[in-house]
Amino acid sequence: MNLKRKFDAGEFAVLAEMEPPKGVDVSTMLSNAMRVKGEVDAFVIPEMSNAVMRMSSLGGAMILQGKGMETVMQVNCRDRNRIALQADLLAANGCGITNVMAVAGEDPSFGDHYQARSVYDIDLLELLNAIRGLQDGKDMAGIELSGSPQFLVGSTVDAGAKGKSPELEIEEMTKKIEAGVQFFISPPLFDLSAIHPFMKRVDIQKTKIIPTVLLLKSLGMARYIMRNVDNVYITDSLIDRIQKSPDKVRECTQIASEMVTSLKKEGFSGVNLATLGWEHKLPEILERI
Amino acid sequence: MIVADRKPIEEIIAEIKEHEKILILGCNECVTVCEAGGKKEVGVLASALRMYFLNQGRDVKLDEITLERQCDHEYLEEIRDVIDQYDAVVSLACGVGVQFMAEKYHTMPVYPGVNTCFLGVTEKRGLWTERCQACGQCILARTGGICPVSRCAKRILNGPCGGSTQGSCEINKEISCAWQLIIDRLKALDRLDDYEQIDPIKDWSTDRAGGPRKVEREDVQQ
Ligand code: SF4
Ligand code: SF4
Repeated sequence: MNLKRKFDAGEFAVLAEMEPPKGVDVSTMLSNAMRVKGEVDAFVIPEMSNAVMRMSSLGGAMILQGKGMETVMQVNCRDRNRIALQADLLAANGCGITNVMAVAGEDPSFGDHYQARSVYDIDLLELLNAIRGLQDGKDMAGIELSGSPQFLVGSTVDAGAKGKSPELEIEEMTKKIEAGVQFFISPPLFDLSAIHPFMKRVDIQKTKIIPTVLLLKSLGMARYIMRNVDNVYITDSLIDRIQKSPDKVRECTQIASEMVTSLKKEGFSGVNLATLGWEHKLPEILERI
Repeated sequence: MIVADRKPIEEIIAEIKEHEKILILGCNECVTVCEAGGKKEVGVLASALRMYFLNQGRDVKLDEITLERQCDHEYLEEIRDVIDQYDAVVSLACGVGVQFMAEKYHTMPVYPGVNTCFLGVTEKRGLWTERCQACGQCILARTGGICPVSRCAKRILNGPCGGSTQGSCEINKEISCAWQLIIDRLKALDRLDDYEQIDPIKDWSTDRAGGPRKVEREDVQQ
């Protein structure tokens, strides 16, 4: 319950994404997580991000929890109907997972199983209401549970995303808050000014916004994001900075560390570190904060 | 054909009751055959609505037109000259017609007058049943011309599931087990060997599950 305690105390929380393996060899995930166990308040376990089939969030979260690490499990409506979603939520809480995050999930056409049928039996808001129902002791059919789960509930908000209207985003966020969401993870942020129009309209003392800090791995990746990723804003000066650096990888971890520090200074509730397979770089990012 | 069923009149009234000049627009194709939205049903609905507004002491203009189709520009254009006389349209076409109408007459409120149900057949007068879910990659050649996608409750492609009894589906005795039908038909065709073949895993990306679809044919485009 470290994460909830931090939020309650108004302290800066450090989250880090830990992608489960495509397979059952969990040794890399475990060793990467163990190395930063002390610095990270909770590990966010993606639920098959980009619709690429791999070990589920529930599975990955259970493995880390088993080693004494706190996790945030992700759930989405793409692959499971209301029966399976509720069953997994009960399983998670029964296994000690107390943080859950409802996410939209990318369409199967983006992933490696593009022939799959997506489910979408319920939508994200209905899922959030279902989570609240379970916490109140009833399932979606209105049947009483024997012991109800208790979760810290999170979701996503496209704060600071390129091409999104802050007004619409705030409306969306308000709906989610009404459905019980207590914290929000926002897309990768490389420039604080991108999120300012959004932040002007929310009270960050009250609404817990956790921007994602994405570790760039190369100049190519930075350029690719700048040109092709719709909701992320990268400036020319950042590209310049990486280009001029003799040690680009080191520069990129430095950029990530600086971003975390500035988020802390700005009064955000925390940060979500995304390293996309470079989880071994987490110690380097964290030691400079 | 596309099979539709009548919408409860209370539902239609709830949507249109504020309007004063209403066009009830029928369609002469599928919905006429399934007796939900043709000329006859347009008349029945219009009379019922007239009665309702009369009882409310309201003078509401209610006109009836039935087009050949509502899913083609050509026929929808036929009402271009009269559409301005109305402040709402109740379309008794299937959901396709309702939407095409709304797309074409962008500022005109259009309300659905039927519930669009499925792609099916008239088994006998007053009984329509489902036959196809438009999955986009027809497998009927392998299943003796009987579709497990639309007719098996579990949509299994290598059936039966084991729960079928005396030819009925395990989830509803009133419905035939699609796989029993497939086996019977393959037997009749002397092709039971086909039944032994395991069907490859289906690509659902061409189904609605893969997102809204389109068919584009350059050879017939002008
Ligand atoms: S296999 Fe697909 S296209 Fe063929 S009848 Fe069944 S649903 Fe329709
Ligand atoms: S009994 Fe037949 S139709 Fe019903 S689910 Fe099983 S295989 Fe499908």
